Amino acid sequence: MDFFTALNISSSGLSAERERVNVASSNLANAESTRSADGSGPYRRRDPVLESVSFDAALSGASGEPGAVGVKVAEIVEDQRPGRKVYSPGHPDADEKGFVTFPNVNPVHEVVNLLSASKSYEANASAVDTLKGMAQRALDIAR
Amino acid sequence: MDPLRSTGSIGSTGSLPAAPGAARPGDRPASFAAELGKAIGAVDALQAQGDAQAEKVAAGHGNLHETALALEKADVAMRALLKVRNKVVEAYQEVMRMSV
Repeated sequence: MDFFTALNISSSGLSAERERVNVASSNLANAESTRSADGSGPYRRRDPVLESVSFDAALSGASGEPGAVGVKVAEIVEDQRPGRKVYSPGHPDADEKGFVTFPNVNPVHEVVNLLSASKSYEANASAVDTLKGMAQRALDIAR
Repeated sequence: MDPLRSTGSIGSTGSLPAAPGAARPGDRPASFAAELGKAIGAVDALQAQGDAQAEKVAAGHGNLHETALALEKADVAMRALLKVRNKVVEAYQEVMRMSV
């Protein structure tokens, strides 16, 4: 049903934005993590990569024209930029010169990402509200 | 330009294509009761989905917005079904009021 397709697309948008919030939270939480679980040095900031995806054959346009598509998180990539070096010889993760490599996370950047994800989440939620109103209005025609 | 001719041409293009799903002469149309039964089944399935999602959320491993949307779908489907039901009852009463 067409109405439900639009709802599903908004739902995929909500899921993607929630994933962005998850990743931004992970980056913020690990802004000072000097080691990772697998022992591969400090934490590296992550970035979700979003991909448009057509999950409804009826909407993807049988005749080849672009149809309405949803979104999904294709992958989460690690930022390969070098971390910041801090001189702290007493730190257990310091190298032989006394420098500790901290994650390449910029908290300001992450908070901005968080804000943008939260606003996009709201936008998707208001799309759902609009759809709801339209469905209600359509049903009111048949009163 | 002959005005009569032009109106005639409008009339000739006025033949509407058969509505999709309209019963063609010869094959038996699907009964309304069967269609209504299918619709009720679909609405029931949506309600069950909403229930399952709500249970998951209550158990602590659900997805909030997907649950809200599942409930919303069930709500809209239920309202639509209710409209159909009301129309049917209305039509029935209209027929019963007819004086013979």
